[in-house]
Amino acid sequence: MPPDALSTVTDDALLVLYANGDPSAARVLTTRLLPRVFAQARRMLGDDSEAEDVAQESMLRLWRIAPEWRQGEAQVTTWLYKVCANLCTDRLRKRRGVALEEVSEPADPAPTAVQRMQDRSRSDALQTALNALPDRQRQAVVLRHIEGLANPEIAAVMDISPRAVESLTARGKRALAALLAGRRAELGYEDDTP
Amino acid sequence: MTPHDDEDMTATDRMLEAARRTPPDVPARLMARVLEDADALQPAIAPAMAPHPALWRRIAAGIGGWQGVGGLVAATCAGIWIGVSPPAAIPDAGAYLLGYEMGATASSTAELTSFGWDLDEG
Repeated sequence: MPPDALSTVTDDALLVLYANGDPSAARVLTTRLLPRVFAQARRMLGDDSEAEDVAQESMLRLWRIAPEWRQGEAQVTTWLYKVCANLCTDRLRKRRGVALEEVSEPADPAPTAVQRMQDRSRSDALQTALNALPDRQRQAVVLRHIEGLANPEIAAVMDISPRAVESLTARGKRALAALLAGRRAELGYEDDTP
Repeated sequence: MTPHDDEDMTATDRMLEAARRTPPDVPARLMARVLEDADALQPAIAPAMAPHPALWRRIAAGIGGWQGVGGLVAATCAGIWIGVSPPAAIPDAGAYLLGYEMGATASSTAELTSFGWDLDEG
């Protein structure tokens, strides 16, 4: 089936098509899902190279589970976010003891030199503050406030109740604000219009 | 919550919003690696099943192909013809069994069944 014809097909139907040997299904699924797992892994790990490995491994597990996937039983995105979150947690556990300053920061291009520097500073500051959060809080904040998932979906990803998600995201965001508090002027938020 | 807390929270919201608006670009090499994995792990397309032969083809094959069918048709036609219009020399088995025209049947078949006896008797 040509890729254009598959653009409106659901994720789980695409996975079944992939398992049945459709050569276009993998490309459509990858285009749709890889940016999401890569962004999640990058925010969780704060390291591009590790995020790439985790995103690739998450997708690899998706390809492996495809022949056994049962349509309608679970959302592919939720399953994938969960796999990615677990892989990130494993990596973070192994990485304990590495100083935050040693974690490389992601780069974001921006239009002008000054704007680019400021955006870069803000992105770096956000990532540094995210890195300083406890793992579960960071995961909840990233999924809720950056990936834009709803609380029930985050609850499914993290294997906790929606109330626990609310609590984690609220505490995480408060901690993030506290970590960034001293840097508002430096990051240009004192005289910036919203 | 102090006014400072509000400002801190607003700045944090704006930073998170900016992060949400600008997702990272997926490196081309990562995309290529993932597609390679997908290709390597994709189950092979199941070979198309040969259409199941029709029932009459299977029956024909069972009785020896078209030659067998031809013989069967010829034998059937002959059987029907004999049934509809039996030769006079062949006894009517149906009538014989039912007891009709026993005498006539016996007499009409006497020439065959007693072939040679009449000569011996002179």
